[in-house]
Amino acid sequence: MATSTYLSNPGVEVNSVSLTDQCTSCTVTSTIESLESTAFGSTSRVYTGGLANNEITMDLYMSYAATETYATLAALVGTTTTVKVSNTVAGLTTASATEPRFELVGCYLESLPVINATMGELSTISITFTGGVLTTVVA
Amino acid sequence: MKYTIISEKIGTVGEEFVPGAGTNIEALLTHGFIKVETPSDSPAPKSAKNKAQPKKD
Repeated sequence: MATSTYLSNPGVEVNSVSLTDQCTSCTVTSTIESLESTAFGSTSRVYTGGLANNEITMDLYMSYAATETYATLAALVGTTTTVKVSNTVAGLTTASATEPRFELVGCYLESLPVINATMGELSTISITFTGGVLTTVVA
Repeated sequence: MKYTIISEKIGTVGEEFVPGAGTNIEALLTHGFIKVETPSDSPAPKSAKNKAQPKKD
């Protein structure tokens, strides 16, 4: 049984714009690519760390209202920006050890679904920011 | 160049916006999140003229 859990309710900021109230899912993944360094004489494969290849994916409600989802993201396609995510909204401004803020600086937005409509449903989109330097702020 | 917040989505409206590392300023300007702070329209005060000194013969 888990001894410490938290209800998913993170704060999300894209290019300094708060999208917390439009976001329903967010995943920050820190990846260091593995490079095989197995040599003769080895009996098992061995790997060493290569380049960092970080990624943030998020699901958002689509809104074309002023300063909402579309206005925030439209001009970012094909460019780099900064995305900040914390496990709490307060962590976006005042990070701490229990409210760490993950910042992906210089991440690239390759594509944006400009329309994703289904009859009888709220429109949502999924986007992915790739690359950039991931830092963890705890103070 | 100074920027002013005009959307509460990025902070308190009217306050100065200080972009952090990696911030895409053009995107924020294009979609009305911030504006460029323009200098006041009032002309700068003129410097005081020095009175001409009387010529000494």
